[in-house]
Amino acid sequence: MIRPTRTASGIAALALALTVVALPIANPAAALAAGSLAVFLLWRGWRFERDLSAVAASLAVDRDVDRTILRQGTAATVRVRVDCTVPPGMEIRARDLPPAVAVGDAPLSLPGETATYIVRLMAPGETAFAGVALEAKDVFFSRNLVCRRLNAPHLRVLPAGINGNGRGTGTTGGDTEVNRGAALPGQSVRGFRPYLTGDNPRQVDWKVTARRGALYVRQLAGLEGGAPLIAVDLPARAGDPETFARFSMAVSGAVEGAIASRDGCSLLVVAGGEIVRFLPRTQDIREVLSALGGLAPLEPRASLYRAPGPAVLAVRARMPRHGTGPEAVYRERLGGILAAFAKESPAPFAAAVRTALGRAGAREIRVYSLLPAGDTSHLIQLVHEAKVRGMQVVLKAPAGAGAIPGVDAVEVL
Amino acid sequence: MAFDRRFLLLCAGEVLVVAATDLLAALVIQAIVLAAFLEDRRGYGVFAIGIALFSGIIAASGTVLLPLLALAAALGCGYVALTLQDYRLARWAGGGA
Repeated sequence: MIRPTRTASGIAALALALTVVALPIANPAAALAAGSLAVFLLWRGWRFERDLSAVAASLAVDRDVDRTILRQGTAATVRVRVDCTVPPGMEIRARDLPPAVAVGDAPLSLPGETATYIVRLMAPGETAFAGVALEAKDVFFSRNLVCRRLNAPHLRVLPAGINGNGRGTGTTGGDTEVNRGAALPGQSVRGFRPYLTGDNPRQVDWKVTARRGALYVRQLAGLEGGAPLIAVDLPARAGDPETFARFSMAVSGAVEGAIASRDGCSLLVVAGGEIVRFLPRTQDIREVLSALGGLAPLEPRASLYRAPGPAVLAVRARMPRHGTGPEAVYRERLGGILAAFAKESPAPFAAAVRTALGRAGAREIRVYSLLPAGDTSHLIQLVHEAKVRGMQVVLKAPAGAGAIPGVDAVEVL
Repeated sequence: MAFDRRFLLLCAGEVLVVAATDLLAALVIQAIVLAAFLEDRRGYGVFAIGIALFSGIIAASGTVLLPLLALAAALGCGYVALTLQDYRLARWAGGGA
């Protein structure tokens, strides 16, 4: 809304004072003066709005970015020139609004001037400028107006590389541990195991060794062959945006690293008991990044209601039946019922996961999840279907988020 | 400070308006004072007609309270219209309409 300046406030106070004078003494001239001042302010407000509308209609922005495809965290120089028709008596200043995910502020500039500033885009994906903020002012009123229509050009931000510990590779001011034990660029640490005679001494992880008091070596991802399957579990609700941004960056970094270091990877995105996206054995980084570009928390349309899935039921049905008497009979019957359920249950999610795992042909699955509280049966089904195929399962989740049964290794996201 | 002086001149002009014994004279002085206060006088004729109508209503009614109440109601409507216009402008600029 328009804001009165000091002059307009003074005129309003004068009108009020004249009204106070006019009423007790019934002076028509004072009433005329008070009323005309009030009408004067309304007329000036209407005039200001019309002028501002004319400015907004004539607004043109010429924005030039030195590159429109850039890596996350890198600086981009923006040159922007705002042109508009300025009515007499009005002052206009413009400020460019960088993308919401950018760090950096544009300076105020007059129409026709070129302003230059630097931004850093901190989140991957497609983004655009947020528009232009106008600061309009005349003698009586002022108003800030944000014009969001003028947001060209669109920018494409590629994710920064992610190390095994989930941190970036130099975009922040903090210390970043470099994985010097990797034989190839892009390899990350999958886990640790005790040192065996004949192991490469360069693979010894001295931090874990010092912590455990025995020699431990790093196990690198990608040494077992086969393109990995990266499974992304979308949370149902939007929680902390920073956590989700870190999660998204970790997934993008993992996909980029896998494609850079191997013969491609497969991508499976699930939300509850629903497969959102599946890309089998792709080497096209653009295709994968565009699939990951619009990732956001997604409320699943179907719930699995904590069903463990046919794989788990089959395992339980095959459990050894010890003992004699009623307990043995009970176990025998329970096994039969579970076997029948495992056989007859349609379990469409498990069937779809089974098909996807078959098409991916991966020997390792990396499950990225924030593990929110609630039903995790879809992850249990996913992990068990992977174990049935003999796949290595690595869960990447936030610290303290819990775990999924059947997972071979848990890494902190 | 130059503008503060102009505001003081406006206040002095209002004293002249209140001191005028004739309503027509007060109207003329008020129009001159406000015109002198402005640099950009686009649309000033419309405003002058408006205050002439208001002075006519005061003269016809023979009282002060009722015309001021009627003007307050009209100004309230005008403020609502102005707010609506501002909302539409903000929505158009924000890409909402």
